[in-house]
Amino acid sequence: MGLRTLLKSGIVLDMYFFKNNRFAFVSMLLWPYLILGLILGMGALFGSAESFRENVGAAVNPLTYFVASTLAAMVSLDVMWGVGGSVLHHRWIGTLPYILLTPHRTSVTLVLTYVPRYLLTAGIQLAEFAPLILMTEGVGSGALKLGVMALAVTVGMLPILGFSALFASFLLSIKEETNVLSWVNPLILLFSGAFYPAYLLPKWARLISVALPSTYTIELARLSALMGSPELRKVTALIGILVAMSAVYNLVSGLVIQAGERRAMREGAI
Amino acid sequence: MRPRALVRAKAVLWLHTIRLWRYRWSFLNMILSEAAWIFLFVLGALLFVPSEQLGVAVKAAFWTIVAWSVISNFSSLVGAWMNFFISLGMVEEHLVHGFSPFKALLGRLITGSSVIVASLLFMAALVGGAFHVNLLAIDSVGLLTIGMILLAAEGLSYGFTVAAISMRTSVPHNLLDILNLGFVGILMVPVQALPEGARLAYLCIPYVAPAHLVKVATGSMPPVLMAEALAISALETAAMLAAAALAMRSVETWVRRNGVRAIGFW
Repeated sequence: MGLRTLLKSGIVLDMYFFKNNRFAFVSMLLWPYLILGLILGMGALFGSAESFRENVGAAVNPLTYFVASTLAAMVSLDVMWGVGGSVLHHRWIGTLPYILLTPHRTSVTLVLTYVPRYLLTAGIQLAEFAPLILMTEGVGSGALKLGVMALAVTVGMLPILGFSALFASFLLSIKEETNVLSWVNPLILLFSGAFYPAYLLPKWARLISVALPSTYTIELARLSALMGSPELRKVTALIGILVAMSAVYNLVSGLVIQAGERRAMREGAI
Repeated sequence: MRPRALVRAKAVLWLHTIRLWRYRWSFLNMILSEAAWIFLFVLGALLFVPSEQLGVAVKAAFWTIVAWSVISNFSSLVGAWMNFFISLGMVEEHLVHGFSPFKALLGRLITGSSVIVASLLFMAALVGGAFHVNLLAIDSVGLLTIGMILLAAEGLSYGFTVAAISMRTSVPHNLLDILNLGFVGILMVPVQALPEGARLAYLCIPYVAPAHLVKVATGSMPPVLMAEALAISALETAAMLAAAALAMRSVETWVRRNGVRAIGFW
């Protein structure tokens, strides 16, 4: 079984998932807009765009800011569930032993079967928001901002894949059925500054933010919300951090997941 | 109450209490995740608020989300549990023994209320601590109690109605979640911000009137249209309870004749 087969199995799995579960597909399309609507609606009722700019400390368009935030948060969450949570899902449906017995390393199987779904869902969500951004920002500026967001969700995926594989390893090694990810994920988003900038968080929380790859993915996506064109220097710096984090997290997760796998097989935690 | 009914009621209470204890980690997990999500959204919305108005805005946002939590938890923890009950084959088992499966479902009130109360206190500590606002300072405890009871009764009626529907046909769980989230948007709108003519119509939307009572009781909204809100809440709750009872009775009759379709939520 080659790596291509793994990728192909991921594509086929997603196609049939959406084909057989149309409501899940419809809700996938609706969720980002609902989150955006909820935050902007609450914001409009309780305050104003001027106060928003004052609190954030930058000349940003609130709509583009939260589109970028929602997009980056949704895709980060998707990776964390898709890779980290898949171990639990496979354990529940009884397919985890088969995953562990495949010729490839578990981390490779989990990541490669997931990548097509990520690209598909991230692409769909970006396309969903595209008309809104183009209408708000104008065609030229809007296209540039969408480009920055596309860059963020593509480059940002790489370290989050490794980070999520670390979670997969943790879930492999514990004999716990409870889905700890369901509360860890919103906390990660909170510390990453998903809807509230990380630089406004208390100092202790900022220390956690620095270590999370999703912080930089969200920050990169949010550069698109700045009035005018985003600074190339900032974009390059964030891409550099994300690439470095990709190398570190993927290397560590590759090693740790093997240890988790061995432990799971030894202790029968599958 | 007859001794047989008492024994059955005790069995239902025991079942749900012991399940709550056995699944205590999942229970804690649910509270933490709910509080974290809410905190995340509230933080985003509060970025729009000028610092001098933060206290009132935090309180209004918090109690709106509490109202939503009641609706959402009762519909998912009560309604969606029928799926589990159907999968275990327990519906037929209860019917054979002459006990309505919906009465067994009534015990989920314990689980739902525990999650709501624990999340409310945890969220109040979290959000209040972050913004230095006492979210549990109440203007009228009596009004808050009435509002919360009416809101819970409406939420439970909705939960039982969808549970009844899930015995005959499939219920798309995701769309119920979306519908519940849609209600947050509706509940957020302050009555006084609407044109005079639209206010009563707005209060007639399910959950809006009792949520308005809750917001007034907590001092996050001025006391406007109080008598109307109370009357609408009471009538609406009675109508929703009657609709739920009717749905359960009709589904039970149908199930006795045709069997459970075993589809539930998905």
